[in-house]
Amino acid sequence: MSKRIFNLKSFGTAAGILVALALLPPILPRFYIYILAVIFVTALLAMSLNMVVGHGGLFQFHHGAFYGVGAYTAGLMLTKTSLPTWLALVAGPFAAAFVGLLIGVFCVRLTRLYFGMLQISLGSLIWAIAFRWYSFTGGDDGIHGIPLPSLISSSTGAYYFGLILLAVCLLFLYLIFKSPFGATLQAIRDNPERCEAIGINVRRHQLIAIVIATFFAGIAGVLFVVVEGSVFPDLLFWVFSLEVFIMCLLGGWFTFAGPMFGAAIMVSLRTFVGTYTEYWTLILGIMLILLIFFLPEGVWGYLMEKLGSQKKILEKEHG
Amino acid sequence: MTKGKEMKRCFLLAGAAVLGCLLAVTFVFLPADAQARNIKVGIIDCYSGPPAVYANDALNGFKMAVDEINKQGVLGSKIEWTKRDTKFKVDLALNMAKELVMRENVDVIVGTINSGAAMAVSEAISKKEKVPFIVWISKSERITGEKGHRYVFSTGENTAMAGKAGGVALSKKPYVKYWIAGDDYEYGHAIASAAWRNLKAKKPDVEKIGESWWKPGEPDLTPYITSILAAKPDAVIFCTGGRSMTNILKAVKATGMAEKVPIWIHTATDHAVLKPLGAEAPEGVMGTMDYHFYYPDSKSNKDFVKKFEGLYGQAPGFPAFHGYITAYFIAEAFKKAGSLDKEKFVDALAGMKIESPVGQLEMRACDHQVVLPMYLGITKKEVGQNFVISTNIVTLTGDEVMPTCDEIKEARGN
Amino acid sequence: MDLVQTITFPALCSHLLVGLSRAMILFVVTSGMSLVLGVLRVPNVAHGSLYMIGAFAAFSISHLFGGGPVGFWLALILSPFVVAAVSLIAERFLFCHLYEREHLMLLLFTFALMLILGDLVKMSWGADYRSIMAPEFFRGSVTLFEAPFPRYNLFLLVVGPLVAVGLWLFSNRTRIGKIARAAAVDREMVGAIGINVSWVFAFAFVLGCFLAGLGGALVSPTVSITIGMDHDIIMEAFLIVTIGGLGNMWGAMVGSLIFGITQSFGVLLLPQFAIVFPYLAVVIILIWRPTGLLKSVW
Repeated sequence: MSKRIFNLKSFGTAAGILVALALLPPILPRFYIYILAVIFVTALLAMSLNMVVGHGGLFQFHHGAFYGVGAYTAGLMLTKTSLPTWLALVAGPFAAAFVGLLIGVFCVRLTRLYFGMLQISLGSLIWAIAFRWYSFTGGDDGIHGIPLPSLISSSTGAYYFGLILLAVCLLFLYLIFKSPFGATLQAIRDNPERCEAIGINVRRHQLIAIVIATFFAGIAGVLFVVVEGSVFPDLLFWVFSLEVFIMCLLGGWFTFAGPMFGAAIMVSLRTFVGTYTEYWTLILGIMLILLIFFLPEGVWGYLMEKLGSQKKILEKEHG
Repeated sequence: MTKGKEMKRCFLLAGAAVLGCLLAVTFVFLPADAQARNIKVGIIDCYSGPPAVYANDALNGFKMAVDEINKQGVLGSKIEWTKRDTKFKVDLALNMAKELVMRENVDVIVGTINSGAAMAVSEAISKKEKVPFIVWISKSERITGEKGHRYVFSTGENTAMAGKAGGVALSKKPYVKYWIAGDDYEYGHAIASAAWRNLKAKKPDVEKIGESWWKPGEPDLTPYITSILAAKPDAVIFCTGGRSMTNILKAVKATGMAEKVPIWIHTATDHAVLKPLGAEAPEGVMGTMDYHFYYPDSKSNKDFVKKFEGLYGQAPGFPAFHGYITAYFIAEAFKKAGSLDKEKFVDALAGMKIESPVGQLEMRACDHQVVLPMYLGITKKEVGQNFVISTNIVTLTGDEVMPTCDEIKEARGN
Repeated sequence: MDLVQTITFPALCSHLLVGLSRAMILFVVTSGMSLVLGVLRVPNVAHGSLYMIGAFAAFSISHLFGGGPVGFWLALILSPFVVAAVSLIAERFLFCHLYEREHLMLLLFTFALMLILGDLVKMSWGADYRSIMAPEFFRGSVTLFEAPFPRYNLFLLVVGPLVAVGLWLFSNRTRIGKIARAAAVDREMVGAIGINVSWVFAFAFVLGCFLAGLGGALVSPTVSITIGMDHDIIMEAFLIVTIGGLGNMWGAMVGSLIFGITQSFGVLLLPQFAIVFPYLAVVIILIWRPTGLLKSVW
């Protein structure tokens, strides 16, 4: 029996959500449209990270560096050159993937913690360059007021642009997830030595995964520029990368869709809790601890398990 | 159930769930409609990390003024305010400013100490959404200079003014060989270039023999001081922000640098910096500041300081002063506008004059910058005080230190 | 500026000394991080927060005892214990339950701890700048190699090696030190011979945090004590332990020396770009030896 790539039920669910989201802009107040657009950006970033962390088992501690590279490339090209907008937007992911390749080449020589620490070190260098080179990158101020066609820079424009881009990228990510390459990657995650033994070039696979993941991170970076109209070095700072990591954990990194929900929860909480208290980081820290102790499979992972086991019980009862 | 029907069911369920969730969230978090419409001011600032000292000071000054103003009210209503912590992050600042404008529907945004955030909010929100934005601590000259526009105002001094004050003051001294050093970020470089530009213009024979730049917050600045001293400059200009200020003053004191070579630092005479240092602060350092709680020694300033100390247990710093005058500018501008319309407010605010603890202050119409004096002084430990203050104060009026309206026009490319 | 003129022997020596004193503080802090990394195999992201608490505790203790020399010494001795107590609470109540879990969880826990401690410090001490002063004896400077060298830095040059010697004695001559080293290499074996591995971990963690607190207390007279100190130091600490060799305490020493000295020489040679030098050194080392200069403990 051929294994279907698309489970009809989940396809239906996904389509339903998509259509619902597409209908929202006329009814929802502008601020919420903006927040949803931010969620789209963050969700894409989290999903791209999960490709190497959840599916690949790599300690990608500084994914934000590639996100920032994508954003800065687009931002710099739009403000410093008079090249067409679409070119700048497309250049972002390629620049991010290129940097991903460069850093990846060094990092895949190592495993686990070494991988992560090296990546933080190299990624921090990129941050330091962006932060200090104020004449080129705007330094700690960043670049603001990036010119974009109003079709995509308005509230609803950015929303739809983000939604469409997110949907397309998710489709690709899902296809990769379900492909033989994706399966190999997960096998490498679970037991790298065995994979080596059966002749799989572990390092090459990991490097390819990194390049793909950083490409999508670059797309997320470009989307950020569209939604916010600015870039700044905070995007490249490692603390932000760890926050994205938490989103994957929060959602559930062994599932496909988990990180998206993690991103949505984090952005919403950050925005709304932030209006009530200035101690949002404290709450985030407590949330994280609760998560580690009680819900390590993540919110979405937990729901999936629950639904999965419910289904099994139903099937058993109905013979 | 057939597969097609199952899919449709999931489709509808999922869609309904999403819509339901989002609508519920919206209405739960919708702010209540104010019956009697008050003037809403949204404050975005950094209440975490080192800048929080200044942000809290500004907030205190603002609060004190608002309480005074609300006794009589403005146009029959009161000023209410709400604050958001940006944690010195630009993306949070943007997020929160958008939230304040689109959800809380504030009439005016006020803030922040982070120049990057100030410019981001100015461009992306103030200009785009046409909401007045008053910057009260951030000192970047670009805010009212090249990136200024109709809706952004500043009640604090900026790097152009500080640089000019320093440059003008130093040009009167006989020093020729200068070393410039400071925090390696936008503020540091802005002060350096403004000071050098003005100094060179007034005294063409000055020479810059070297530069040093360090990470803001760098703990041990001794090696920098050592190499500067080795180069034997006639004078040194330090361009440090709040974070490194204490570190540089401590290092200057530890190496005895102030006794060896004249030093000028903008905000060296700032009380928030000198107070925690106590008697450890170095003496003989030249500094400029746009507000001192002990100078001018006028009755209005003394009353202001006394009331502030009574409320908050400490003397007001320059952020408190800026926060205080911001509130009064807002109140007076609405009164003059006669309504809560933002466009009328902006028209009224440009060129507005108010009474402040240090005398009359004007919000200059051509660039929306408050004309503030600069006080140049030398640090000294006065008898009876357990901290160092600015002495031998020379006042440079606002007109002497601000860029001219033509220079602003040129910078903005008009 | 004439480069040849600046690179005189006295200038080199004086900058070397300054770099060394900076390296000493870095070493005290990073040795703690290396210890935790070596034994528990987890980079303690909250290490910077504990360093910050050490500085704030030093401030409070010193003020409690009048702010003079007595206050300073008491602060120096007591604040590491305060920090150790905080870390012990975190460890015994929360951290130790995670030892069986995968390493990523431990890392994320330390990240959560950093977030929480950061805000707790803000709530306890407020946002103001704090400052403490070294005792009279340490104020001012002596002239070494024709340049002023703060006396406090001389003190640091003495304390650093003392800490290093102390740690060496601890890990090589005491029973518990040897057990900790063994647990770093093979925890199952240590457990198999009947030693409670959990307590070994607890001890290593608390000692590491003690060192962080000591670093914070040592640095406090030279800087402004503010919230945000944690973020500054943690990035440097990460880089140092990475180039030194993960978990290797002598690696921490080597890394700190490289960092401190390259920065100091950078100031001498190219003061405009001085901050680039340590990062440049890091890049070169990592390209040449990705696992760090010294062998990692595991």
